[in-house]
Amino acid sequence: MKKIEAIVQPFKLEEVKEALKNIGIDGMTISEVRGHGRQKGHKEVYRGQEYNVDLLPKVRFDLVVPDTRLDEVVEALTNAARTGKIGDGKIFVYDVADAVRIRNGDRGDAAV
Amino acid sequence: MTEQEIKEQFFVTRDAAAMLAARTALVDSIVRERWSAMPEGAAIAAVGGYGRAELFPHSDIDLLILLPGAGGKKSEDRAQQAIKEPLSLLLRDLWDKGLRISQSVHTPQECNQIDNSNAELSVSLLDRRFLAGDQTLFRQIRDPRPELGKDIARLTKERHAEFQHTIYHLEPNVKDTPGGLRDMQVLRWLAKLGAGDEQGPPDTAVLFEVRCFLHYLAGRDDNRFTFDRQDEIAKLIGAASPEELMRRYYRAVRNISRLANRRIDRFEAKGSSLLSQFRDKISRLSNTDFSVVRGGILFRSANAVENDPGIVMRLFEFVAMHGLPLAGDTQDRLERAIGHFEEWAKKQSNLLAPIRRAMLLPHAAAALRMLHECQALEGIFPELRDMEALVIRDFYHRYTVDEHTLVAITNALNLRQKKHDSFADLAVETQDFDLLPVALLFHDVGKGTPDEPHVPVSVRIARPALLRAGISERAWSIVEFLIAAHLELSSAMSGRDLSDPEVIRSVAEKVGTVERLRLLTLLTWADISAVNPGALTPWRRQLLWKLYMLVNAELTRELTARIGSHEIKASPEMQGSPELRAFLEGLPPRYLRIHSAEEMRQHLQLDAEAKGQGVAVSLARSEVWNLNVVASDKPGLFAMIAAAISSFGLNILRAEAFSNTRGRAIDTFAFADEQRTLDLNPDEVQHLLRTVIRAVRGELTMTQLLERRPRVKPDARVLAEARVTYNNEASPSSTLIELLTQDRPGLLCDIASVISNSGANIEVVLVDTEAKKAIDVFYVSRGGAKLADPEAEELVGALTRVAVPV
Repeated sequence: MKKIEAIVQPFKLEEVKEALKNIGIDGMTISEVRGHGRQKGHKEVYRGQEYNVDLLPKVRFDLVVPDTRLDEVVEALTNAARTGKIGDGKIFVYDVADAVRIRNGDRGDAAV
Repeated sequence: MTEQEIKEQFFVTRDAAAMLAARTALVDSIVRERWSAMPEGAAIAAVGGYGRAELFPHSDIDLLILLPGAGGKKSEDRAQQAIKEPLSLLLRDLWDKGLRISQSVHTPQECNQIDNSNAELSVSLLDRRFLAGDQTLFRQIRDPRPELGKDIARLTKERHAEFQHTIYHLEPNVKDTPGGLRDMQVLRWLAKLGAGDEQGPPDTAVLFEVRCFLHYLAGRDDNRFTFDRQDEIAKLIGAASPEELMRRYYRAVRNISRLANRRIDRFEAKGSSLLSQFRDKISRLSNTDFSVVRGGILFRSANAVENDPGIVMRLFEFVAMHGLPLAGDTQDRLERAIGHFEEWAKKQSNLLAPIRRAMLLPHAAAALRMLHECQALEGIFPELRDMEALVIRDFYHRYTVDEHTLVAITNALNLRQKKHDSFADLAVETQDFDLLPVALLFHDVGKGTPDEPHVPVSVRIARPALLRAGISERAWSIVEFLIAAHLELSSAMSGRDLSDPEVIRSVAEKVGTVERLRLLTLLTWADISAVNPGALTPWRRQLLWKLYMLVNAELTRELTARIGSHEIKASPEMQGSPELRAFLEGLPPRYLRIHSAEEMRQHLQLDAEAKGQGVAVSLARSEVWNLNVVASDKPGLFAMIAAAISSFGLNILRAEAFSNTRGRAIDTFAFADEQRTLDLNPDEVQHLLRTVIRAVRGELTMTQLLERRPRVKPDARVLAEARVTYNNEASPSSTLIELLTQDRPGLLCDIASVISNSGANIEVVLVDTEAKKAIDVFYVSRGGAKLADPEAEELVGALTRVAVPV
């Protein structure tokens, strides 16, 4: 199993959700987050005053998938979240040791 | 009857009272039967809901076991020891019978002492009922002191706070949400403690029925009235729809909530000498209509509303000004006489004016809620009844539509009092802020019309309602825009790439002007904040602010753009008039967006008049004075007109200047006549116009005009410094200068003079003063080109010196 953590642009939320749904991924956690990567935020000038906007709003998707589906899911995520510009975000993939469905104790792939 | 039989009977008869009585009787018989085996000298009583004989299907069974006092007497000690073992057997036995027992063991002395440390036990004793055992023990329990009412009031307020003090939750808890069954009990307790019960208890049948069903459906003590349960129970009790059931529910709950809050306030009002001193002080606010007694507003005369329904509007303004609550008696009178008010309101044609006035007063939100609670608001705008207690289910909204609306208005109005908040600054600077609550009041009213997207329906409903209430054409155009566009910013924020200039351009085009952008940004802020208490996350605030800044920058940039062919195509006036088309050539799109067809015709006429003399002026009075000047453009023109106005001691509020390709400048000024010079001296109007014309023609010098300017004491400082910046990227042919500083009389004239004296030409001006701040945008050029960087820096320095707050 792999855990996928994807940080994407806020306006890509619906598109990414839809793309995942289309390949049969229904379970995910979505959070509103703020941060920056190489994009490093930027300065906005408003009425002569510079606003330092260093933490930019992003959306984070967390999902766990069986190893066999990893490539397909990452590809769907990448395609849906890409605009080709700086700030499109990142995808991180982790190994998952186990998963447990709390309701009935299912483990492993059966629990995700 | 067994539990099963009670349940079956309830599903047939839906008689909650019978159900509660049957289950109480069943449990009584079980407890009494088991108690008969207990040794003598103790007693058992029912308390809490069980004591009231109101046992819902899965309610806890609250038992009080009374032991004789362990006051050292040997016989009493022995009795206590003797009962321990059989008591634990008894309780285990009851558990085994499937009863959820919640017991406490006390001596009567303990019961009589502990009301200070354990208010909840004392409260439960208010509902005590003897079951079995030694009656003399039971009789030793005294009624709690009336001060317990204060604890009840405190606990109730704490509970209400958990639910944001509103009854209008989409998925309420029928027991704990304000107005729920717990509040019903609070009413009864306070009545027992001596807060008189002048009114009969409100009708709560629907609450009892719903709670019985909730327990039976969940199989446990679960009081959450979720969407799923609303569907199920609506079918079970034969309601037309879940929404209809919920309206019944909210109506019942509203009555309970109103009574409970009133009773609690009365209890809290007792005592406290500091408070009464304060009260004495504010009672001086009393006037010929109202007296303020013990912190509450009373009508001076009996039948005040019947004899003079307009008093309701004065009451509204009184509350908006002073923020005092209505006395209970006033609420009753209002409710009884609201029909008179409604009849009166139907015949009025300008009720919007007092509402708009009140919106700028410190307690506007409380006043509007008061008007809604006594249904006077709905008397003025019956259209609003469409959204009363209206449930629209979605994942995020927590309140009914009417409550969402009121919360949004409250948040928007309170925003102006916040400090160090960029949206609050915006709220203070925004022109026509009083139209924001008006737009919010109607923004979701279309949700009551099924099968149609709500936004256009809201506009359709708002129009006749507001026209009837006397809204001006100009105000309506703003409100209409706000309602129609109320989802634009949210949807751009969440669904579109804000780093794409095309996205920003399209939003800017929809919004049109910076003034509208400010109002729409605030409306969006308020709308999101009222979805649920946590909806306006820092994340969303940041996105909204970013969008605001980007669109604001785009609209400022656009000031040097020219009206395009698609705008000409879209305008029937321009299609029909080649003269108008020629006149408008070279003006920015903003000109079209802020001027009505009528105003454009006026400008065109001035343009014709100006052909002979080089200048034509017109002056009109609405809420403020508006001066239009059309003249051949020349260096220093704007500064001279500003100086001419200032020389009369008039305070320029807003100004803008554009010029068309034919070299004609169109300058408009809005100014306030704080000394009422023009009002009191009709001759001065002609004098002012002559002075403007002479100034434009160069017959007066700047020095002459400035000498005439009266000295005015500046206002208290709101800004510590002047901020002046320039930007050479905003336009291909001119330099953008933005200035923010404390406003003062004559400021604009001074600034314009500095620019003209530097040899730069003012191409475009947009000046706005709100809340004592001057927010100025200038596009300047020299010889038809941008200023070089050193020139621009020098000008910025000179402007900063003249604009520094004094």
